[in-house]
Amino acid sequence: MSTLSISVGPQHPGSGHFRIMVKLDGDRIVEALPDPGYVHRGEEKLAEYRNYIQNIPHFERPIVHDSSNILFAYVSAVEDLMKLEVPERGQYIRVVMAELNRIIAHLYYMAIYGIFVGHSTMFMWPMGDRELFIDVAQMISGQRVTFAFLLPGGVRNDMPEGVKERAEKACDYFEKRLVEYEKIFINNPLFERRTRGMGVLTKQDAIRLGVVGPTLRASGVKADLRKDEPYAVYDKLDFDIPVSQDGDSWARAWVHMEEMRQSMAIIRQALKDMPSGPVKLNLRGQIRAPSGETFARTEASRGALSFYLVSNGGMMPYRVRLITPSFRNMIAIPHILKGLLLADLPPAFWGLDYWPVEADR
Amino acid sequence: MSFVNRLFSAINSGTKHLFKRRFTLRYPDQKFILEGEGYQYDPKNGVGIAGYRGRHILYLERCTGCSLCFMMCKGISLAIEMINLPDKQISVNKKSNFPQIDYSKCVYCGFCVDACPFRALFETNDYEVVSYDRESLLFTPEQLAVPPKKPKGTHDLKYGSRGAYHA
Ligand code: SF4
Ligand code: SF4
Repeated sequence: MSTLSISVGPQHPGSGHFRIMVKLDGDRIVEALPDPGYVHRGEEKLAEYRNYIQNIPHFERPIVHDSSNILFAYVSAVEDLMKLEVPERGQYIRVVMAELNRIIAHLYYMAIYGIFVGHSTMFMWPMGDRELFIDVAQMISGQRVTFAFLLPGGVRNDMPEGVKERAEKACDYFEKRLVEYEKIFINNPLFERRTRGMGVLTKQDAIRLGVVGPTLRASGVKADLRKDEPYAVYDKLDFDIPVSQDGDSWARAWVHMEEMRQSMAIIRQALKDMPSGPVKLNLRGQIRAPSGETFARTEASRGALSFYLVSNGGMMPYRVRLITPSFRNMIAIPHILKGLLLADLPPAFWGLDYWPVEADR
Repeated sequence: MSFVNRLFSAINSGTKHLFKRRFTLRYPDQKFILEGEGYQYDPKNGVGIAGYRGRHILYLERCTGCSLCFMMCKGISLAIEMINLPDKQISVNKKSNFPQIDYSKCVYCGFCVDACPFRALFETNDYEVVSYDRESLLFTPEQLAVPPKKPKGTHDLKYGSRGAYHA
């Protein structure tokens, strides 16, 4: 059997520099090996030379459009070391920002998914509708993409007037839009023919490979850290975890869409239940964490994201280890691509929501 | 639903948008309205005041040259540099050291604002820091002290019966 090796990437095959070495027999993929590392920036090492505040803009960089969720894990780890108790209003604002970010990241996913299957309407719509949530997040934080909004001890500022009305309007409008998304994309028979039964990851395989996030939930495992190990105020909020039993590329798109519905429900509740009070502890001077080590994880838009932090009592962390969901999901790439046609590679690959910058750190 | 029905409903949901409002802001002819004065920080309570984080404004008369903003930015993007302006006589600033900001490096995180204990450095809602060359992105203390022109923008996100739009 003679095979042909081709290299998909490394110039931006979707989202960031990354390469898949594909071995083809005719039109069939017999082997697909991911080749990461093109966007490695050494965020973990950089963090050892920066104090706990200066690290905040740096730790956003691996996942710019999901910045609040990665910072959520980081500030939780620092607060754990310093034994801080965040004021309740600060916790609610954090949850609002995290869920806005989840919607923004999921819309980005839908847009790229659309363009990967050649559906350019589905590229334009989510990219436009992201603006609704970026607008709300900008009102709260003052930035449009890299919010740098969560701090050890709380959030940077209180919400200005009118955020609640604006967010309600955005959610009302976007709920109607999601019905249209369903019609034009998710339930579009042409999209279903491209993605149904493709790139299947069974429940056993998903657990064995250790994938996380929407990929895991699309394979029928009900696992979400917001429910399993509730952090912040997630245990006071009422929401569902969408789970699909199919495990294919279509199911992954569906899980992402349903998660946006749940995120909107969380935002509405959090804005309604939000108590008044301070949003932040007043930590004077430099932040110093007592020596020790800690491990904190949160559910980012792509799955469980963990920080392992060691401090020796100084102003800077002694060691940081960051485990991102894309890094965990990379292992599924050879598994799901094997046996597919080469033309099916883009939708199957993007279904995983693999983000090279996040995986390489 | 059958294949044809679902296909028809997909095409239909797209066609309807021919009659909806366009969700496009024609920048730079149309500009956003940005409420407020920009991001500020209250050093007494240690909490920020919500606002857009754009180009900085430096209140020369309050800046003591303590270079805390420089120390903060040093670990973030190295955008701030302390420079000496001997002809600026300010009673609180004996050595006449002021920050200058290089906007080709700044990431607009606003932590320099949080670091300033004298309310001398804030951010404004001027988001149009653009130029044809790198040199003009270097803002000297005098340039930073100029308040930005009031943005002429009037466009905002609106929600109507025919969709969301900028108007
Ligand atoms: S906003 Fe951030 S990057 Fe810009 S000058 Fe201030 S500290 Fe430096
Ligand atoms: S702007 Fe503030 S922090 Fe920077 S040198 Fe002046 S007084 Fe110090």
